[in-house]
Amino acid sequence: MPAFVLKAGATLLTLLAAAASAAYVSSHVKNGAAPLHPAVLTAQVHAADVEAVTSTYAS
Amino acid sequence: MPPSARHFEALGTTCSLFVAGAPGEHLERGEAWVRALQARLTRFEPDSELSRFNASAGAWIPVSEELEDLLREALRSWELSGGLVNVAVLSAMHGIGYRRPLREGPSGSIAVATPLPALPDVLEVTPGRARLRPEAGLDLGGLAKGWMADRLARRLGDNALANLGGDLAAQGAGPAGDGWPVEFGGHTLLLRDQGAATSSTRKRAWELGGERVHHLIDPRSGAPACGDLGEVSVVAPTALEAEVLAKTALLLGSGEAPAYLDGKAAAWWLLP
Repeated sequence: MPAFVLKAGATLLTLLAAAASAAYVSSHVKNGAAPLHPAVLTAQVHAADVEAVTSTYAS
Repeated sequence: MPPSARHFEALGTTCSLFVAGAPGEHLERGEAWVRALQARLTRFEPDSELSRFNASAGAWIPVSEELEDLLREALRSWELSGGLVNVAVLSAMHGIGYRRPLREGPSGSIAVATPLPALPDVLEVTPGRARLRPEAGLDLGGLAKGWMADRLARRLGDNALANLGGDLAAQGAGPAGDGWPVEFGGHTLLLRDQGAATSSTRKRAWELGGERVHHLIDPRSGAPACGDLGEVSVVAPTALEAEVLAKTALLLGSGEAPAYLDGKAAAWWLLP
């Protein structure tokens, strides 16, 4: 196999890997406002799959 | 049957009242009660009861039953929070330009921050009277919202919810009999005779002199809090307790907040 084919193949592979990495990273951006961990619920509260009438929020 | 609801703007925020199984006229009276108390407890009007107390120059002055109760709760909250919830914060608020309602924008320039005095050192309360050290001033802020939500939920009836800008009190069994459904930390919780509140440095924030500041003062420095938490939501037995726990946890930071909340709060959610 000619040397230039090997070089071109290696270059192409490198470029593809870089492009795939960039695409992955940009589609998995870290959310700076994400909670540190899920809400902690003790036995004193009950969760339900119903529509809330209101919510707590910062004001 | 869905609960009756009423939404309105007061206390510098959005308020929502709900009653289940009772006439909606209760809600109208509830709004009137909020507005009447707001007029008495605001620091932005010079003739409000709170402003007159702040200007009382160290004298013992008569206080209403409501203000007396709030001042006692402020002292209790100071104890519960280990001194981190301190309503003697007026000068610090002025020092960051928060001298008037935020819709009118900040005013003045940033002042050098100094630690706040211990609340029991500047505030004394006896039945029907109270005294504030001359150089001290109070801003009842979120504490008043939590206190009002607790009282208002009870005033609205046996089955009601009062949400005053995120400080909410749920009284009774709710519209379906299993609690009031409230969105909290990505869940819908059924709250029954409980309160919830959120404390945050993300809202009520502004720029002054090229510096970003917010309204949540750390009493240890007298400056806006700068810890690693940006928002904390808490469920507790009352809205007032939830408010105190949320603010304290936010000031403690992510390292100490879980241990502080464990055993005091029914649920909590920490955000950076």
